[in-house]
Amino acid sequence: MHIPDAFIPMGQALVYWVIALVFIVLALRWARHSMGEEKIPLVAVLAAGIFAIQALNIPIPWGTSGHMVGAALAAIVLGSPFAGVFVLTLVLLVQGIIFGDGGITVMGANIINMGVIGGFVGYYGYTGIKGVIGNAYAAAFIAGWASLFVSAILCAVELAIAGTFPLGLGLTFMGTYHAVIGLIEGGITAVALYLIASARPDILEHPQAVSA
Amino acid sequence: METKQFVIIGVVIALVIAVAAPFLASGDPDGLESAFFSIYEAKPFMGSELDEDAAGTAEEQAIATTGNDFSYEAFMPDYSIPGMDKLGEVFAVVIGTLLMLILVFAVAKVSARPDN
Repeated sequence: MHIPDAFIPMGQALVYWVIALVFIVLALRWARHSMGEEKIPLVAVLAAGIFAIQALNIPIPWGTSGHMVGAALAAIVLGSPFAGVFVLTLVLLVQGIIFGDGGITVMGANIINMGVIGGFVGYYGYTGIKGVIGNAYAAAFIAGWASLFVSAILCAVELAIAGTFPLGLGLTFMGTYHAVIGLIEGGITAVALYLIASARPDILEHPQAVSA
Repeated sequence: METKQFVIIGVVIALVIAVAAPFLASGDPDGLESAFFSIYEAKPFMGSELDEDAAGTAEEQAIATTGNDFSYEAFMPDYSIPGMDKLGEVFAVVIGTLLMLILVFAVAKVSARPDN
């Protein structure tokens, strides 16, 4: 879902950068207040794993593929939507600058879509759904799915504002493909949460929640 | 599990995925690219045949629409090393994974809450 430079006019791209920078500053404040030094190696490993799994495009129907984003997982494991912003900003920076995956001028939009939306929908979706159904892994699956789907919908709206996609077709096509790709996001989020919770229940910010 | 052990296992899992990804990953367009090609009629919405010429034209049309012709030559474009094939892709993703590990460690170290 990495938007390339050509898809958004420069002026709009700058607006998205400004909005993204606000969230980056908030993510750094979260780190200063809530990310203890003992978490540093875990955050680094999580980011490396998210980068690697993003390179693994999984085929879906219709000659299309999709890959995990990982913001929901980072937010759930580290207990804050801003953890998703923190990790995805750095992932997107490396992907854009070193690998040409996602544009440079439009990186702010990609940070908003994947980091901010992924982190917030992933985190609040997870805590909200878990409160209702009680099962942490089912909640992680649904929240992971929703985080990707909502990112894709917002992306379609941005591209409609940009004039690149007509709104109706953009929503239909982006929504359809990402409703399926979301299953990859949800599935890997739930499995990774299970593995991390099994290995290190103490590092989860809400360990009691995962014992269910 | 000790933190050291957890980190080592985590890094090994990430590197295994990084080495395997170039062999396993689908080369089909991702969801956004696929939607883009479908909207610009280079590919049917629910079909898989991509018209390469129409896809090229679509990209020019997008630049004409947005006026954003910013271009940038990445060091390892599309997770590959120019002049190398599969092995280059493996190196690219492995280098990226290790770079993430070091970069995020450094940024987290600087921005984390001091313990004392």
